[in-house]
Amino acid sequence: MREWTEILLRSGGLFFIALLLTRVMGKRQPSRMNSFNFVNYMVIAIIAALISINVIRDLALGLIALGVWVVLAVILDYLALKSKWFHDLIHGKATILMKDGKVMEENLLQVRYTGEELLRELRSKNVFNLADVEFAVMETTGDINVFLKSEKKPVTPHDLGKKVSPQPEPQTVILDGNILDEPLSNLGLNRDWLKVQLDSLGVSRDNVFIGQVDGSGELYVDLFDDAVQVPQPKVKELLYANLEKSQADLLSFALDTKDKQVKDMYLKNAERLEQVREKLEPYLLR
Amino acid sequence: MTVGAKVKQTIATLKGIKGTLEIYAYQCQDQESASVYQEGLQAVSEITGDLEKRLKNLEFEEPQYKGL
Repeated sequence: MREWTEILLRSGGLFFIALLLTRVMGKRQPSRMNSFNFVNYMVIAIIAALISINVIRDLALGLIALGVWVVLAVILDYLALKSKWFHDLIHGKATILMKDGKVMEENLLQVRYTGEELLRELRSKNVFNLADVEFAVMETTGDINVFLKSEKKPVTPHDLGKKVSPQPEPQTVILDGNILDEPLSNLGLNRDWLKVQLDSLGVSRDNVFIGQVDGSGELYVDLFDDAVQVPQPKVKELLYANLEKSQADLLSFALDTKDKQVKDMYLKNAERLEQVREKLEPYLLR
Repeated sequence: MTVGAKVKQTIATLKGIKGTLEIYAYQCQDQESASVYQEGLQAVSEITGDLEKRLKNLEFEEPQYKGL
């Protein structure tokens, strides 16, 4: 066989073998690998390259080496799944770099990090002030993750003691002017509903680039023609304002009347409406 | 504006609220929010009922302002 045909065949074959092998070895991303995984992948890649350009003359020997590196890697991965001890052995353990706000110098030395590098990594996590850190850990992949002191953490509704309504994910129902039926039916809606909504916004379907329906069934559209101003849904705010207005009305009726019984009725209902309003607030205003 | 007319206006607003709440109760995906809307709906309809009763009394007392 002439040499160039051999290389052609080998390269073509290995291309698909390599494709298959990386599929077998899993979905791990190169940036998320620990150092041993990385070496493993590199060796496989190099062996494949060497076979492909005919440096390793004997195809069988090359494929054996390739097979060993792949099979061992898969076996190790499997064992690591089954046994915690084995997992720690091959992946190592996460190293705690900062604890209780103090840098652990010995551990820093162990992972061969200087203070400068630690600060750089912290900055890349948007932490510029060492004093803000409660706990920092280096994962087995070499990433550093930071846990901030409780007073420096971003505020959540829970911290504010505020109740928020659950928000299911929005569904995209129009793309490029085409109605997507599946997400629509997921929401329990149909094309007629969409038509009514679009008519009430005063836009035609062809003009809609993206249309999304949020968890509470409100339609938001982005148009091709950006000069057209689409009214944003304000129904909830209006509803809330109306609840407030009705409550005020009831109170003023209560003031106007002289009849004790009627006054009580108005006051009771005003209070009830206030309860309703408070309960609905997280759902209507957010 | 007479008291009767004002009460009528409030009843109309409340009915509007009721309608909107009903729409939300049906079209929202989440069980919990749906039940909150349902509760609100229930309370608002009871309040509307009370006001309608009161309106009947008012119209009985002052029949000259009867009707819409």
